[in-house]
Amino acid sequence: MAAPLRPVAARPTEPFAGWRLLASMRTSALSKTLSLALAVALAAAVALPLLWAAGSAIAAGLDSTAWRALAADPQLPHALLLSVATGVAATIFSVAAAAFLLSRSFPGPAWSALVRALPPMLAVPHAAFAIGLAFLIAPSGWLLRALSPWATGFDAPPLWVTTQDPWGLALVVVLVAKEVPFLLWAAATHLQRPDAAARWTRELQLAQSMGYSPRRAWWRVLWPQLWPRLGGPALAVFAYSLTVVDMALVIGPTGPPTLGVLAWQWLLDADPRVNAQGAAAAWLLAGVVSLLAGAVWGLRTAWHRRARWVDGRRGAADAPAGGVVGKAGASGPRGLLRGVRNPRDLHDLHDLPEMRGIFHVIAIAPLRLPALLYLTVMLALAVGSVSGVWPFPQLWPQTLDLQAWRSVSASAATLWTTLGLAAASSITALIWAIAWLECAPPAWDRALRRLIYLPLLLPAVLWVVGMHRLGLAWQLDAQWTGLWLTHSLAGLPYVLIALSPAYLGFDLRYVQVASSLGRGQWPFLWQVKWPLLKASLTGAAAVGFAVSVAQYLPTVFIGAGRFATVTTEAVTLASAGQRSLTAAYAWLQWLLPALVFGVAAWASRPRRFRPAS
Amino acid sequence: MTHPIDHSRRRSLQVALAIAALPWPLPGRSQTGVSWPTLEDRARGQTVYLNAWGGSDRTNAYLQWVADEVEKRHGVKVQHVKVADTAEAVKRVRGEKAAGRLEGGTVDAIWINGENFLTMKREGLLFGPFAESLPNYRWVDTQGKPTTRTDFSEPVDGFEAPWGMAQFTFFADRAKLPTPPRSMTALLDLARANPGRITYPRPPNFHGTTFLKQALVELNTDRRALYLPVTPEALARLAAPLWTYLDALQPQLWRGGKQQPQNAAAIRQMMADGELLLALTFNPNEAANEIAAKRLPASVYSWQNSGGAIGNTHFLAIPFNAKARDGAHVMINFMLSPEAQARKADIAVWGDATVLAIDRLPAADRARFAAGPAPGQVTQPAPVLLEPHGSWVDPLEREWLRRYGQ
Repeated sequence: MAAPLRPVAARPTEPFAGWRLLASMRTSALSKTLSLALAVALAAAVALPLLWAAGSAIAAGLDSTAWRALAADPQLPHALLLSVATGVAATIFSVAAAAFLLSRSFPGPAWSALVRALPPMLAVPHAAFAIGLAFLIAPSGWLLRALSPWATGFDAPPLWVTTQDPWGLALVVVLVAKEVPFLLWAAATHLQRPDAAARWTRELQLAQSMGYSPRRAWWRVLWPQLWPRLGGPALAVFAYSLTVVDMALVIGPTGPPTLGVLAWQWLLDADPRVNAQGAAAAWLLAGVVSLLAGAVWGLRTAWHRRARWVDGRRGAADAPAGGVVGKAGASGPRGLLRGVRNPRDLHDLHDLPEMRGIFHVIAIAPLRLPALLYLTVMLALAVGSVSGVWPFPQLWPQTLDLQAWRSVSASAATLWTTLGLAAASSITALIWAIAWLECAPPAWDRALRRLIYLPLLLPAVLWVVGMHRLGLAWQLDAQWTGLWLTHSLAGLPYVLIALSPAYLGFDLRYVQVASSLGRGQWPFLWQVKWPLLKASLTGAAAVGFAVSVAQYLPTVFIGAGRFATVTTEAVTLASAGQRSLTAAYAWLQWLLPALVFGVAAWASRPRRFRPAS
Repeated sequence: MTHPIDHSRRRSLQVALAIAALPWPLPGRSQTGVSWPTLEDRARGQTVYLNAWGGSDRTNAYLQWVADEVEKRHGVKVQHVKVADTAEAVKRVRGEKAAGRLEGGTVDAIWINGENFLTMKREGLLFGPFAESLPNYRWVDTQGKPTTRTDFSEPVDGFEAPWGMAQFTFFADRAKLPTPPRSMTALLDLARANPGRITYPRPPNFHGTTFLKQALVELNTDRRALYLPVTPEALARLAAPLWTYLDALQPQLWRGGKQQPQNAAAIRQMMADGELLLALTFNPNEAANEIAAKRLPASVYSWQNSGGAIGNTHFLAIPFNAKARDGAHVMINFMLSPEAQARKADIAVWGDATVLAIDRLPAADRARFAAGPAPGQVTQPAPVLLEPHGSWVDPLEREWLRRYGQ
């Protein structure tokens, strides 16, 4: 956690929990007891249902016959290998790409532009994105249609392997494209904090004033501070990539598919024996995720010990994207000069006047790439949603048809259920997370987090079996309250991941200042802490909202299918595989979270201070 | 358009034989002794949650019509609970049983067949027998359509009411494929002439396994053993022509048979895009439906293999713990009526073939079914080939995975 350059390590705060923060304030013993009591209640409210559901899920995976059946399945080795390979590759490339984009844009206007483009990207449903991308790159896809037959001579789609390749490359591509915005967004929750952004900008300037090139300074000063904070999101990306089902079904290999797909198919089977085999496969995946994540954790710790060494060499050498230790390269007066001459122009990488134009284009192009890709995918979905007959190699549908959109408008009633459920559960998760971070002692926090993150590591189908048993036992099935509870629990880990780094990394000196001014706990929270953390708070709520909107299986099971949401409509209608319907519903599914992310971004815009009168 | 059966896979049915011998636990309330008018009276005011695959606009619209009519005529509210996979509803009922919810269940009626039916019947998750005592059951063509009484080799025993008919059917665009291959052997020749342009879904997907069954039945002339529980000897003997056939076919398939699409919907889309020559379905009217919906060109046509095509029936059942059991009876009886069945069979509405014996109906009702052929419909219906005994499925799928699926 410590900054790699000692002179720059003027970081006054270490991530302390609110608990210690409160202890440092003028709090009475009574309020401390109260906050501990609240922490117990909060822990119980989450741990009880989670443990119950986890217990049921574990019970589902304890069948030794099922494990034997799994071991005997001829697809297992290949499928597991595919899952691990695609999951690891997708995570590494996602982190590397996110780091690369960050290094090229922060700090500076390019970063702000990138951050503004993130919410609509995050709101695109995973499966829909895969469908849209597949429609671009498939042998019958838009790219080849645009070139056929005039350039390629094809009047039928070529027999090329672009999607559903046996190595899962297309799956890796689509996972990276979908996870990079998530990681950037997670980084943004740190970088958007006015205090952190200002401090890190100062540190970068300081490093450059000492002769380190802008990029070298970025990798040596900012990245080592940022990367540990992205550990949680990166773990979520890893767990998701390794167990992903919906995207793998669309664009992943099929002979055999990944183990996540197999587990899902088995778990959905009507035969309980096949279900048990699916549960075993799901637990196997969860085990692999934990094992690899643990290994990476250990490696990272060792890596960081090395990474703190600074060789003292300065200059223009740049670290490779994703790496922490840069190659020592040519140093010299040019780098030094650049750093000193124009310390404010940090985002401009190649500052020599004659090179600026070319390099600017090259430097800015990758930053535009994600938005461009998402725009094209959404455009492909839009055209797909009104397409009737549309044979290759026609660039445009032969017949246009609004039937899919009529179907969407017919299910407009589901909008209110979706909205109410998502709002209620995201606010619940947010309030819980804030209260927990304020009240819980750090040791409790660490312990409970392992439990809270469990739903992220377990394949959703397995999880839902446990939740359904819980709903039945607690008489919550087919009830709105049951749905609310499940959606809140589903959103909680994401809300916590989004919120806690910024929340725990809050600058302690504000507390001291507030206390010294005679302000108590509540005025401090309302007037100082929460306003400063506005971006993280609204962002976390938006993530909870999006997670709720995307819930399918829990909604169907706990709600007994009686509560139709945008997503249950989308998934049931997409089960027939009609491209136009799937595309139209993808737009509908996109719209709600996109709006909420938009609101969150608007709410977290930098504050403008009115001059004191 | 697909049926919920599309999403089911039948698993080992070794237990199937034992089931016939089991004394079926009759539910607490038998239908005997309650007259139909009494039952209709009791049903009034109930709400029936019908759990049915909701993947098709037209099916959903038809069920909405059923709901409106049943409420208007019988005062029973029907709520269509849309599921993406019928197994979801099966698992929900199972979960309720495991949790001791023996009454007041959340599923009142379920659209079902094949593996899901067998599972529910085996686990005692179904109410019944009830179907054959429904007033409208007398019109069901149990003679001409034997699959209305045997669901994938499993005796129905009145635990589900037949609702519609399905048969394995291919479809293609006449512009791309002027003459259809009307046998599995002709299909192989076509694949050899057009390598990479034909495929079938990867078993154990329902359609993929049905493709294997169609080939298995068609490539054997002495089929008696296929309708008995599988033995290693019978498997080795009867499946041998299938593996020889597939050894020749697989390398000619899309992606050399190394990758196969996950389901029939993906194949239909690839056929529509022009990447594949033909698609397959279990609904003989799927192509006609898609043409009517303007998603396929009118030049698409359907055919069944001339030697016969695997066929079966889809059903409606009532879970053992249904809350609105009487209401479910009333609704299902209405869905079996000539009026409801004729509307369902209309291509403009849904195009799902009736389970009734049309020739036995009163003249007025018979007239309801007299619609002309629609573009895309099967013009030369093939005889129904019965599904092999359920116990064949598991070894077939396992062997397929071992040979071609890794």
